[in-house]
Amino acid sequence: MAPAGQRQTGWWLLILPAFLLMTAFYVAPIAQVLAISFTEPQPGLGNYERLFTSESVQRVIGTTLRICTITTALALLLGYVLAYRIALAEARARRWWILVVLVPLWISVLVRAFAWVTLLRRQGLVNQALMESGLVAEPLQLVWNEFGIVVGMVHYMVPYAVLPMLASMREIDPRLLAAARGLGAPRQTVFARIFLPLSLPGLIAAGVLVFIFSLGFYITPAILGGGKTLMVAEWIGLQILDLIRWGLGTMMATVLVVTILATLAVFSRVVDLRRVFGSGA
Amino acid sequence: MSAAGHALALQGLTKRYGTFTAVDDVSLKVESGQFLTLLGPSGSGKTTILMCIAGFVAPTAGAVLLDGRDITALPPEKRDFGMVFQGYALFPHMTVAENVAFPLRVRRMGTAERAEKVRAALDLVQLDRFAERRPSQLSGGQQQRVALARALVFDPALLLLDEPLSALDKKLRAELQEELKALHRRVGRTFVNVTHDQEEALSLSDRVAILNHGKLVQEGAPTALYDRPRTRFVADFLGKSNFLHAAVQQGGAEAMQLAIGATPLVQRILPGAPHPAPGTKLLLSLRPEKIALLADGETADNMVEGRIATWSYLGAGFGLSVATQDLGMLRVTLPSWGAPIAPAEGLAIRLGWSASASVPVEEDAA
Amino acid sequence: MEGAHRPGPFASASAWIVAIYLVLPISIVIPVSMTDQRFLSLPQETLSLRHYATVLGSAEWLGSIAQSFWIAVASTLIAVVAGTLCAIGCWRISRRSTDLIRALMLLPIIIPSIVYAIGLYRYFARLDLLDRFAGVAIAHGVTGIPYVVITVSTALAAFDPRLEQAARGMGASLLQTLRWVILPRIAPGIASGAIFAFIHSWDELVIVLFIASRDVFTLPRRIWDGINENLDPAMAAVAVLLVLFTLLLLLLDLALRRRRDAR
Repeated sequence: MAPAGQRQTGWWLLILPAFLLMTAFYVAPIAQVLAISFTEPQPGLGNYERLFTSESVQRVIGTTLRICTITTALALLLGYVLAYRIALAEARARRWWILVVLVPLWISVLVRAFAWVTLLRRQGLVNQALMESGLVAEPLQLVWNEFGIVVGMVHYMVPYAVLPMLASMREIDPRLLAAARGLGAPRQTVFARIFLPLSLPGLIAAGVLVFIFSLGFYITPAILGGGKTLMVAEWIGLQILDLIRWGLGTMMATVLVVTILATLAVFSRVVDLRRVFGSGA
Repeated sequence: MSAAGHALALQGLTKRYGTFTAVDDVSLKVESGQFLTLLGPSGSGKTTILMCIAGFVAPTAGAVLLDGRDITALPPEKRDFGMVFQGYALFPHMTVAENVAFPLRVRRMGTAERAEKVRAALDLVQLDRFAERRPSQLSGGQQQRVALARALVFDPALLLLDEPLSALDKKLRAELQEELKALHRRVGRTFVNVTHDQEEALSLSDRVAILNHGKLVQEGAPTALYDRPRTRFVADFLGKSNFLHAAVQQGGAEAMQLAIGATPLVQRILPGAPHPAPGTKLLLSLRPEKIALLADGETADNMVEGRIATWSYLGAGFGLSVATQDLGMLRVTLPSWGAPIAPAEGLAIRLGWSASASVPVEEDAA
Repeated sequence: MEGAHRPGPFASASAWIVAIYLVLPISIVIPVSMTDQRFLSLPQETLSLRHYATVLGSAEWLGSIAQSFWIAVASTLIAVVAGTLCAIGCWRISRRSTDLIRALMLLPIIIPSIVYAIGLYRYFARLDLLDRFAGVAIAHGVTGIPYVVITVSTALAAFDPRLEQAARGMGASLLQTLRWVILPRIAPGIASGAIFAFIHSWDELVIVLFIASRDVFTLPRRIWDGINENLDPAMAAVAVLLVLFTLLLLLLDLALRRRRDAR
């Protein structure tokens, strides 16, 4: 055997534990999910037929896509505003701005959903304030509907939108902006003609990331939707835990995984997950 | 480990990456205690050869022999070769002493013996006062010396140097060249050096191997290579050269008559060199410093008239480009101290050189 | 971006609004947790710590906190060991096949936890790992691997591969090279990965919802039940404790990164 080959076996051994763990305890259970969707209750494509025949299945998919699209659009908009500010900040201020992004990113989803419930429910702080100020006579329905879900999900997704956009904005050579100003372009023109086109790859990456993360979201929609507005993940949980309909649940899970992987594959060149989690303060 | 140097041989060494051949059938011998330099432009395969010797790259074909023993399949950590890496590769989280102690530590040498050897190695490179510093607190030249001490501390069979001076500025480089040469003499080990700097190769080495496109082009002592390049590439890469396309007019035992256009030339034939038949086209290499400025009435084996097209002052000398009728543009260097003329553009001058100043070279295969 | 081009007043103002949107709702739980009322509200007359007392005096909450902590410790251990070694191996071999392995290691971030959770529900039933400490620790450990792989790979990207070659060339074995050269250099990256893997396990709910029920009842699980059953201010107190803990870990990470950058 060639010496290079010999020497690499040692390095391959390092990979082995993670590979075995991942195969035995991650890939296998998920492969099982995919398999069940074709075998239960009867072998065949029966479960997938429901995609075309069942109105409730279609409604869940429709709701999910709608909420995810709205969430992605809003998260991108808010995220861009924040990323732009951070990219142009001075080193000292930038650290604080990045903290504004990182702290919510790592704070428990549950805590954040709970905070929104506290604020938005009928007797919540927002309604209280609105009633006391006399702006509304009746408390507004702000939560346990799609509005609540979107507010909570956007809140969760903004940090994920900021990080890839920020990474791509920080690659923009600041001298280009100075040069454009120097050549007589007003601020808006510099933004529209130079900054925006150059930050586009980050914007697309962020959009893909936020969209695929939103698709499989469970906790926030479950808490802020109050069981009335069902998204795919919660619907899957319902099929498995309450209705014991494994075939249907795993079919939807398979569709979810395939959709996400396909989206990623299409955009594989622009999305670099390492950028999201590797970049820090 | 014995104290003396070891002999290294490469036999038909070849390394392919896919369809790209980085090293093409290179055979070389380094005698015990010699200083060999692999010299070539970037991409010539010199570093790949060094990596094959060190064991980091497995050759596609061929063998590496140490004292006649085939070590091609031996992993690098079993070869006992010291190596100075490009950029030195000092461990930034260890002090100078810890860096130098590292090869002893992996060999599980006792603490007392280790300390003794580290001190001796640091003494050797005059860095004993810096033992507790971190590499980042040292200058480039000092880091280079730490790398040397680290590579020598475990009495390696061979010392490999990968562009050891390339990170240093010109002045420091010249200084360290001297030191490296003295160090080689002191430790008496076999050194294999890789560089793209021809001056470094000429000044340091006992032997130089010139590589191009993965092939060994010529190998020999520095003076032999400089004065008798075998190919145009060698003549061009090692120093500067004019190239003249001449036709053989008439042969002879020791010299032959040539001509370029209407200008006759005389070329000495080296002992053992072929005697080309009349009509043969020859390529001559002529070093700029071997051309002299002729005073009025002075003669030489070869003489040509021309006008200075451009000139530049180089401190130690003048660099002239002289336009001639038949020979085209000739590059000439003159010592500036006591130069017989004050160069000026358009100045008409006469140039001359001896029959042994120029040397026939082969055109390189494309 | 120093100096040349500053954001305009409109861009700055909108960035502030977004920042407030991100931070304010989370910080609202702090005053709510100190309410003197018995229901979720802002403090009316005085600040009170009695809801903290309720939580910290409750055997159930304390039990869940301890359980979550030990599960996070165990799963972090799994994730750090497996993830670090894997990242180093992939970095050193660096071929197409290792790129694929690295992509495989990222799957847990990409594939929604719900899919993994239902799969594990069935899978662990057969292995008798449902509602077991070990089961949850393994599940959290495996899903924590990507965070470690990412941070360690980032740290390795800045590591000069010649240092590894130099060590091997001087006679160091693979293990010696790992211990004396590679690991000390990437320690901050490993620590970062460990912190993220820990937070991941500490906060994880979806998997726990499916593979644990009675014996293993983690902190997020108890909060979940609390939100769905009785929205009382004790929940806010728990939330604040959780936020403080996460902040502490993040600050630790930030300090580590700064130390690494300073080197």
